[in-house]
Amino acid sequence: MKPWMRTAGITLGATAVAGGAAALGLVYSGWYDSSATNPHTPPVNYVLDIALQRSVTVRAADVDVPPLDDPQRAIDGFKLFRAHCVQCHGAPGVAPEPFARGLMPAPAALVDTARHWPASEIYWVIRYGAKMTGMPAWQYRISDDDIWNVVAFMKVLPTLSVADYRAWDSRHAGGSAPSPPPVTPAAELRVGDAEAGRKAMQQYLCITCHAIPGVVGANRHVGPPLQGIARQQYIAGILPNTPDNMVRWLRDPTAIDPDSAMPDLDVSEQDARDMAAYLYTLDDAK
Amino acid sequence: MPRSTLAGMPPGWPDPPVARALGRPRAGRWPGAAARRPAGLGAALAWSALLALAGCGDAPPPLAPPAQAGALPGADSVRGRQRIAEYGCVSCHQIPGIRGAGARVGPPLRHLASRAYLGGVLANTPANLVRWLRDPPAIAPHTAMPDVGLSEADARDIAAYLLTLR
Repeated sequence: MKPWMRTAGITLGATAVAGGAAALGLVYSGWYDSSATNPHTPPVNYVLDIALQRSVTVRAADVDVPPLDDPQRAIDGFKLFRAHCVQCHGAPGVAPEPFARGLMPAPAALVDTARHWPASEIYWVIRYGAKMTGMPAWQYRISDDDIWNVVAFMKVLPTLSVADYRAWDSRHAGGSAPSPPPVTPAAELRVGDAEAGRKAMQQYLCITCHAIPGVVGANRHVGPPLQGIARQQYIAGILPNTPDNMVRWLRDPTAIDPDSAMPDLDVSEQDARDMAAYLYTLDDAK
Repeated sequence: MPRSTLAGMPPGWPDPPVARALGRPRAGRWPGAAARRPAGLGAALAWSALLALAGCGDAPPPLAPPAQAGALPGADSVRGRQRIAEYGCVSCHQIPGIRGAGARVGPPLRHLASRAYLGGVLANTPANLVRWLRDPPAIAPHTAMPDVGLSEADARDIAAYLLTLR
């Protein structure tokens, strides 16, 4: 072995050991925040998103998709959707349950999933779930055929208005369950805090439907993008954009527009103020 | 924040759906998305890594894909673009490709073709878009967007242009 090779080997080895030690130190020091109220850092979020998508794409490549257009399939799927999916994912005009709103990552709006993911991959995720996302695997609880029924219903889902969804609900599964009453915090209300509002955007799942500058993972287009919302004259096309109206809208959109696909998410007065404060920082309308 | 920057991401990083599309090339998916982003080192690395990983088979389409431009037979997006200018849509909306004062009375129409709902209430299909353009108050009685008296043909042309905004 020549001397330069020895030097290079020692240098490389020492660098690897130092790098590994630094990484372990970082992990062990507790530097990374594992709470669900603080989102991943953007690079971590980015890598995890790609890892999940590639993992599913590669594994679902050989899945055979059965015919999904039989209306009875969609109806059977809807019953399962209503029993097992809507609690976390919501539906047109239906908010996810409170327990689902604190999940990190936020449960996807399935309208968006249906519009962007192929049938085979949706089936795969329902059957096998996804690690560290809260998405459970249904393989041991629901037959394969029933999973495909759910996929068949998801194919219909993006075509349903709020009224259509309610009609499915009353036709195929009886009346809808009452939502729990919103909890009013006893603490004194303060002026809206934009930074608190940014976190609340995650917790109320705003990010599953809206592109919101400065909020990690908020890049979907179910509703309109919120960049420049501070300068927009109307909220939802119907309310003059004042801070009071913004808070009203965030707290109960369906009270203002019963047809709105944006659901009532039981937003507290304080959280609505905080979110409005954040939204009013988005004044770059370009 | 520059317009090409997605929430929280540094400019130059392709967003995951773009990277996903690049991993398995799909015709007509996210056209121009890559071109709008500065080609940073991160993007270059991510793309080459994904391309190296990508399989060769045909990518399956989305379960319920967003409407494609060209979904309205006979409609002409170039004519639609002229009609948008003539009807003064930009006095309320920002519309990519249309010169205007950057008004923000209603929402910006960037990504309209990707949007799941119109006016927050109507499923975004080509037929519904034409209906909405022709008479918004008939669908959402409280909407600030007026019926500007579009003919069916003009509404179809305008819809064809809007459906190019992915």
